Amino acid sequence: MSTEGRNTANQSQKLMIFVLTMSLYGLATLFTELIPKFQIGLVELSVEFFLFIPLTLAMLFDPLSVALGAASGELVFSEIMLGQFGGLGELEKFLTVTIGVYIAGRLVRDPKNRAMVGVAAITGTAVQLLMGTIVDIAKVQFAVEDFEAVAGLPESVFATEGFAFLNDLLFSGIFFCLLPTLYLVPKLYGKIEPLLGMAPRTAASTTSGLNPKAILVCVIGFACAIAAELAATAGMSLVEWEAEWAESGTALAAGMVVAAALAVVVLLVMKKNGQRNATC
Amino acid sequence: MERIMNKLSESVLDKFSMDFLRSQVLKNAYGNDDTVIAALDPRILIVWYLFFGLVPWFVNDLPFLLGCFLLVMVTTLLARVAGLVLLLFALGVFSQTGYLFLATLLFGGDASAIAPLLVLTLKVATISLASVTVFSGLDPDRLSSGLMWYGCPERLSFSISYAYRMLPMLMEEFQNVLLSYRLRGNPPAHDTLRGKVRYLIYQVKIIMESFYPLMLNTAKRSRTTVEALELRGYRYAAVNKTVKKIKLSTLKVSYNDLLFLALSALWVALCILCSTLF
Repeated sequence: MSTEGRNTANQSQKLMIFVLTMSLYGLATLFTELIPKFQIGLVELSVEFFLFIPLTLAMLFDPLSVALGAASGELVFSEIMLGQFGGLGELEKFLTVTIGVYIAGRLVRDPKNRAMVGVAAITGTAVQLLMGTIVDIAKVQFAVEDFEAVAGLPESVFATEGFAFLNDLLFSGIFFCLLPTLYLVPKLYGKIEPLLGMAPRTAASTTSGLNPKAILVCVIGFACAIAAELAATAGMSLVEWEAEWAESGTALAAGMVVAAALAVVVLLVMKKNGQRNATC
Repeated sequence: MERIMNKLSESVLDKFSMDFLRSQVLKNAYGNDDTVIAALDPRILIVWYLFFGLVPWFVNDLPFLLGCFLLVMVTTLLARVAGLVLLLFALGVFSQTGYLFLATLLFGGDASAIAPLLVLTLKVATISLASVTVFSGLDPDRLSSGLMWYGCPERLSFSISYAYRMLPMLMEEFQNVLLSYRLRGNPPAHDTLRGKVRYLIYQVKIIMESFYPLMLNTAKRSRTTVEALELRGYRYAAVNKTVKKIKLSTLKVSYNDLLFLALSALWVALCILCSTLF
């Protein structure tokens, strides 16, 4: 099959892009994960230092494959491999990284246009950071019991979150996302595509430009991210239910202990029997 | 005194060399497949993790949370997790809630903030230790087949297996590229403070630049990988039910797995009993 003149990638090329982004971004996030993060409360004072990798690749290749590859690379390499998997909360990071990178990739029509690349890189970073900030604030509000009652806590959360957002965007965003992307995109353009058997992206390419459908999908994804994060932290009604049940449930709890102890004993006996049968 | 401090900082810097990081990561990934936790069935462990990863969020009861925390601490010890991962965990938990406490004090709060924050700390610690146990103690291949059994997308288990096999090579390649850049470069003198800042910028710049050859190399490699996969009919096998069945036939639930579940349940029930009594 000839790929000359084709602008959309076929299935195996999408897989190639996925694997490429996953390995590169996964490797990079592995290192950032190993460097202890500077945190103020639930606020992480660090941008994704290596976000320039998926940003660069998203501007050169199919944005969706790159976005998914970057998010799963981060998930697999730095979270699962190091055993730092945060459960449902990881879904939030997965989705925000995906959306940020995807938007940046869709914004660029022509990778040779430097101004466009710069705007897209900083927009993608800003979108990702902003979503993270909103989710973080909501998280603290739901996670800490009687949030409003603790004096000084709401102000401190808003202050630190706002500060972290600005710092990340203006300092790390420019140094670690904007400049490397501006350096790498023109340098890689036309060089890396042939290695995957594809034609470089041009202004007439179908994968660029933002349309309402893409924006809608992004908004839905962000709603999912908030929902996942809150599902992981909320549950206020459940807590009340728990307290009520804890007052009257001594007998129930005792029953559970007995049942669990019985299960342990039965399993031990069965295991012993099984071993005896095996040796006979 | 000064000499001791110098020596100390030197040895700390030594520890955080590239090779140390690499060996710790590899040890974490491959080093402990003979522990009690690693021998358990991945499906059982994932169920266990779902309980200890979700339930603590919904409970604000101190004895219960404390009990869960002790249990996951024991399982983490059983899994013999690499030291660096535990250090990162401790730092993360402390900084998450310790800083929040300090910030609260700064904005006019008092010591009354410590009680809700202690609950939050216990929650965070329990959940992270549970995930450390499962995802760090389990062999990656077993983990990915366990996830596949629950119907996770094939892409995810493929990513996990690929990551564990490719990671040592990727790290070595990155190191080689970085070292060759360093060999050719001329780092600025770093005796004064300004020199130190310039040196840091120089280092960061080298890391950024070394991604250029790395990207090209990885592009070549991923094309080779995907073409090899296509030759073996990977995309058809990924959705084929028979292939999946053959792949998952190695999973087997034994008495040990059930015993593990039952013991955890016993402990949790005891904790609930305690929390109802007090």
